[in-house]
Amino acid sequence: MARTSRPGTPGTWVLLCYRVPREPSTPRITIWRKLRRLGVAQLADGLVALPADARTREQLDWTADEITEAGGTASLWLAQPASLASERDLAAEMAGARAAEYAKVTAEAAAGASRDEAGRRSLARRLRAELRRIHRRDYFPPAQRDHATAAVDALVQAIAQPEAEPIAEPVAEPIAERQEQPS
Amino acid sequence: MKWATRAGVHIDRAACAWLIRRHLDPDAEFVFVTDPAEVPADATAFDLRGAELSHHHGDCTFETILRRHHLDDPVLWRMAQIVHEADLDDERYDAPEAPGLDVALRGLSMVCTDEETLQHTGSVFDGLYEFYRRAMLLGREPA
Repeated sequence: MARTSRPGTPGTWVLLCYRVPREPSTPRITIWRKLRRLGVAQLADGLVALPADARTREQLDWTADEITEAGGTASLWLAQPASLASERDLAAEMAGARAAEYAKVTAEAAAGASRDEAGRRSLARRLRAELRRIHRRDYFPPAQRDHATAAVDALVQAIAQPEAEPIAEPVAEPIAERQEQPS
Repeated sequence: MKWATRAGVHIDRAACAWLIRRHLDPDAEFVFVTDPAEVPADATAFDLRGAELSHHHGDCTFETILRRHHLDDPVLWRMAQIVHEADLDDERYDAPEAPGLDVALRGLSMVCTDEETLQHTGSVFDGLYEFYRRAMLLGREPA
């Protein structure tokens, strides 16, 4: 069930090959949303892939069932890219898609920095939920992940500081004394 | 009775096993398989692709069992929301407990056999049931 990849060989991927009837459109859209939520790589029309682990296999299993229930056809495959290069391309494409999502969070956090305290808190709450959603489908974390986390944390850290001031004040004196001492 | 499910149990299967033992079959015996073809002929399969007791129309298996067996206890349905979100995370319900329970179960499955996981989670679900039962009677969170 776990990925059996030695360093230098491509890992195992789970592939979902599917076809959903064009009409009715509601189940088709539900399935499309579900796949997008899982962060699949689109290999071709009706062919998506995820790095194989117990969770991704299970999620695609259920999606396959749902496609069948909606009158479509679906089959699940385990496969290895034939070359490391094609696996790297696939991973880079997925990381790029996540990077764009993280960048959007970073931008929203930056835009909200001037809000009042309550506004920043509620924005941070919403963006943290969004970050959790992105984490769930982030199989190859890009550097933008840390930037986004820091940008959202900064929204509430800016609030914590003024509250800490009264406690910090008595400490200020000994520090000033110490500063007078020759170092 | 014999019940069969996929090996490597996680939230939905653990919750279903608890539900089966407490509400359907106190003498339930569980078999863990890696392929649907391995399900013994005398066993009822659950949370397995193609099984009757499995995911249907966006419901997780726990919800499917509640529906198929007409279990309409509101406490069980409150637990179903948590199991659904921990398993599918599709934000159909507001269940802030779900991510924590999900992580606890995932960790447990790393250090326990499936039998051990069911044993531990049995007490967890007993406790959750009692918590939400009291919460429902009180109309607020119990102490």
